[in-house]
Amino acid sequence: MGTVHARSLDPLPMHGPDLGLHPDDAELVEAEPETKQEVLENKDVIVQRVHIDGLGRTKEDLLGYEIADVFMAKNLIDVMKKSHEAREKLLRLGIFRKVEVVIDTAEGEDALPNGLDVTFEVTELRRLTGSYNTMVGNNEGSMVLGVKLPNIFGRAEKLTFQFSYGTKETSYGLSFFKPQLGHFDRNICVNLYKVTGQFPWSSLRETDRGIATEFNFPIWKTNHTLKWEGVWRELGCLARTASFAVREESGHSLKSSLSHAMVIDTRNSAILPRRGALFRINQELAGYTGGDASFLKEDFEIQLNRRLFWDSVLSASLWGGMILPVGDKPASIADRSYINKVNVINGESDIYLEQFAVTGDYLGGEAYWAGGLHLYTPLPFRPGRGGFGDLFRTHFFLNAGNLCNLNYGEGPRAHLQKLAEYIRWSYGAGIVLRLGNIARLELNYCIPMGVQIGDRICDGVQFGAGIRFL
Amino acid sequence: MSLAAEAFVSQIAAAEPWPENAALFQPLKDDQVLLSDCASSLAVQAYLRMCNLPVQVCCRANAEHMSPSGKVPFIHVGNQVVSELGPIVQFTKAKVVGCVSGQGLSNGPLSCKRHLQHCAEGSAVFLQGHSLSDGLDDVQRAEMKAYMELVNNMLLTAELYIQWCDEATAAQITRPRYSSPYPWPLNHILAYQKQWEVRRKMSAIGWAGKSLEQVYEDVSQCCQALSQRLGTQQYFFNKQPTELDALVFGHLFTILTTQLTSDELSDKIKSYSNLLSFCRRIEHNYFQEHERPGLDPLSIRPSLM
Amino acid sequence: MLLGKHVINTMAAPLELYCWKGGWGLPSVNIESLTVLAYAKFAGAPLKIHKIANPWRSPTGSLPALKTHGEGSLSQPNKIIIHLRKQKYNADYDLSAKEGADSLAFISLLEEKLLPALIYTLWVDPKNYVDVTRRWYGENVPFPLNFFLPSRMQGQQLERLRLVRGNSRLEPGEELEKELYRDALECMNLLSQRLASQKFFFGDSPSSLDAYVFGHLALLLKVKLPNGKLQQHLKSIDNLSQFCSDILTLYFPNDGRETPGSKISTQPHSNDFDNEPNKRRNQVLSVLVALGAMLSYALLTGILSIQQVHPQGALGSSKGHGAGTHDEDEEEEVE
Repeated sequence: MGTVHARSLDPLPMHGPDLGLHPDDAELVEAEPETKQEVLENKDVIVQRVHIDGLGRTKEDLLGYEIADVFMAKNLIDVMKKSHEAREKLLRLGIFRKVEVVIDTAEGEDALPNGLDVTFEVTELRRLTGSYNTMVGNNEGSMVLGVKLPNIFGRAEKLTFQFSYGTKETSYGLSFFKPQLGHFDRNICVNLYKVTGQFPWSSLRETDRGIATEFNFPIWKTNHTLKWEGVWRELGCLARTASFAVREESGHSLKSSLSHAMVIDTRNSAILPRRGALFRINQELAGYTGGDASFLKEDFEIQLNRRLFWDSVLSASLWGGMILPVGDKPASIADRSYINKVNVINGESDIYLEQFAVTGDYLGGEAYWAGGLHLYTPLPFRPGRGGFGDLFRTHFFLNAGNLCNLNYGEGPRAHLQKLAEYIRWSYGAGIVLRLGNIARLELNYCIPMGVQIGDRICDGVQFGAGIRFL
Repeated sequence: MSLAAEAFVSQIAAAEPWPENAALFQPLKDDQVLLSDCASSLAVQAYLRMCNLPVQVCCRANAEHMSPSGKVPFIHVGNQVVSELGPIVQFTKAKVVGCVSGQGLSNGPLSCKRHLQHCAEGSAVFLQGHSLSDGLDDVQRAEMKAYMELVNNMLLTAELYIQWCDEATAAQITRPRYSSPYPWPLNHILAYQKQWEVRRKMSAIGWAGKSLEQVYEDVSQCCQALSQRLGTQQYFFNKQPTELDALVFGHLFTILTTQLTSDELSDKIKSYSNLLSFCRRIEHNYFQEHERPGLDPLSIRPSLM
Repeated sequence: MLLGKHVINTMAAPLELYCWKGGWGLPSVNIESLTVLAYAKFAGAPLKIHKIANPWRSPTGSLPALKTHGEGSLSQPNKIIIHLRKQKYNADYDLSAKEGADSLAFISLLEEKLLPALIYTLWVDPKNYVDVTRRWYGENVPFPLNFFLPSRMQGQQLERLRLVRGNSRLEPGEELEKELYRDALECMNLLSQRLASQKFFFGDSPSSLDAYVFGHLALLLKVKLPNGKLQQHLKSIDNLSQFCSDILTLYFPNDGRETPGSKISTQPHSNDFDNEPNKRRNQVLSVLVALGAMLSYALLTGILSIQQVHPQGALGSSKGHGAGTHDEDEEEEVE
């Protein structure tokens, strides 16, 4: 069996807006207007009042922006559509557990004959929510305690704290999220964290303590993130037998980096999408704002999904990236291997992204690319259709990739050639289980091809879980 | 039983000739290394020179974290990493200098392997390990080990105490030096973290309640014991130096040549004239006479700190 | 309160020594206490000895402790020994300067090489700790200290081991055990070689080094440990084990029979349970405490609630209270 590399050293998945509902699932509830004797369908109507019932600590000015559009509606269909959109917006704030819409004819003294009152009946989330769960993975068990304060100051601010106490390592993270009024997509997020991880394939233990500030904003159809991150990284050897190359990297370093990411995402879902495309490009510059790690890192990710016959989906993706050390100091293993810390489980995560020191510890590479072609189909004979069975997919895949170091001093052409030579690739089939909207589990049978010397091969049946996939 | 078996296995693993690229790792010499680390490093260097095993001294800012035991110095020989004097002595004992056989001395790994085979077949070949203490009898060896622990237990601990627990020394010398390779604010974090750790160690072994005077008193007591043991001999055990001599030299020489906030520590040693001449003797015999290119005699005696 | 006593007492009054009480056929179960006791015997110091099992009753809060006249209380064995020496109770009087230096060196050897392994075998090795060490302290330390003192002492010892080894990630395990035992075995061999066939380390009369060696080794020799690698090695070294038992019979003739060795592990638990006079009381007390804790927990968390019933219908003003106190916002939701 393969290994489970479920956790990489990314901060705990806790930053950013927590979208309460996914668009994919949102086709469920349509507010039905009460049937009236009069048929209003094609008549012009005026929305006279919008009520919001059930508010506790939420400030009304926040909601004013979200429901303003409802007043613009000119006929009943429009009212229903706008109300539905407003409801979506309210739910997206992540501060309400439930939002219901009631549309009624206007009542009262100044009621117009074609006037309507729209009422949003909301139920706020509790002031404090806690969670508790246990995780097993990477030869380690851990207990995760989480505390969330949604809507802490009444304007959709969110404070989250997670503490994970493991058999080997403890981690914690504190994050504060604040959206701009009326523009939920434009927000600021501050994270404080300590993450520890053990990477047996590199004989490496890494402890990161850091602070990150990010600013998210949309421009036209793209989403941008500007981020500053300061991390104190402590690397150590896991065992006395660690190779000397890894040993030389151990110790403390401080990274202070500025990064920018741009994402265009037209997919209908982050996990097992049925249509749409994703383009993500990320660049990180470290060293100019302090710290002793300096490098320039570039990454990109492209994914295209296309719906075929019988509910099956063809998905193609391509990833690539490189790291350029700035100055005379080579990039640390913590930065280099980060490039490859992407969670590619389809059989070849254990194959193509590995480069080894003499004694067999994974050292990471400075440039890489990876591509994948997947065909997702419903389960054969479609058991549990429309319910539990829809969480599963079978898939057939063909993956390829390579990585190399850049310090050959041979120019870009040689590097490209290096990346094109000796491509590691694999193919196979398996079953995918979708876990909510954030992760998926896979059980695959994989046949690796083009294996290079020093690669660690995990062929046969493999099991994996992860958040990002090719 | 299992210990013996293990020792045998490690002996086999170590029974390769001393490679030419053997390296000793220690913190940065000019800006970073502290009195105690410098003393330990010098002791190992002196020991290896006494054994006539060449080693290249490499200074790394992260030497402490590279070391498998978290302590400096450590040596990297072949694919093995060994830290601290005690284990290094064990390690060199098992190393083969050359195989002396009927055909004469041969040094190459291949021929050596062949000789090992000869050895297994029972031919007249003997392997010479590096050991300075082979000539001692049981009681002497016990005393040697005991005095080595005396140095570790009192001198080394006193050095650590003065470095980290005497606030004047810690603020003026130790913390700035220890943290010199790191950028702000990591330098302060790491220095205080280390200081906190050493202070906890001191309280665990009952040194936290001691005053600086008491520590100097302990150093004095230790030096008196060493001076007493040395007497008028050339080395601690007559004419042949042992690992004890290397260890004592490492510590005393470093204390003598290091500028601290006060001279009290080195003054304690200076009052024992036989210890002083002992240090001069080793410096003269092992760090000046046997000069080879690439090993700068001054490399071990800057005014550290 | 003690000061007054000091003033009245003349110098002739004996110094008071507080140390851990005995067990396993030894005058004390603690290495430092044993060392000090042995030294006092060797030097012929007339001490008033309090053998207790409650460190809180010691003047320094730890054991052993020597209450001196005018210099406060001392708790470290070497300080106690130095103090006794100053009081003219000197067991090292006959030693030459070189022998004095050797004593210092061998004491360092004990502390650096043997002590960590002893700490490991008594306090860290899980089987030994649970079956022997924790059991002894649990049974002998008075209630309610016995509930937390053993585990606190274990924590301190493990912490000490970590700091001395300079490795904060130190985990009890085979690798550590192997390293520590290797040092300890070597140390015992060296001591044996140094002792050779002599009666004591420096001739026929005992010195402070003998006290230290006895303190460190006697415990290991007498305790019955389930995991006894270290112990077996010591027992196989004839001159050292002979050395310890000689000192025991010569200087502590009474302690051997005071607590028969059979008490330790051969008898089933219920037997020594009955032997302990305080055990029954402790049991009742602990049940009471547990009940109290459970009740107060129940009350605090609202599983149980005490309703105040007003004897004469107090105008219904208290009626709304019962229902209205349930504050939704403050409640924790568990996802």
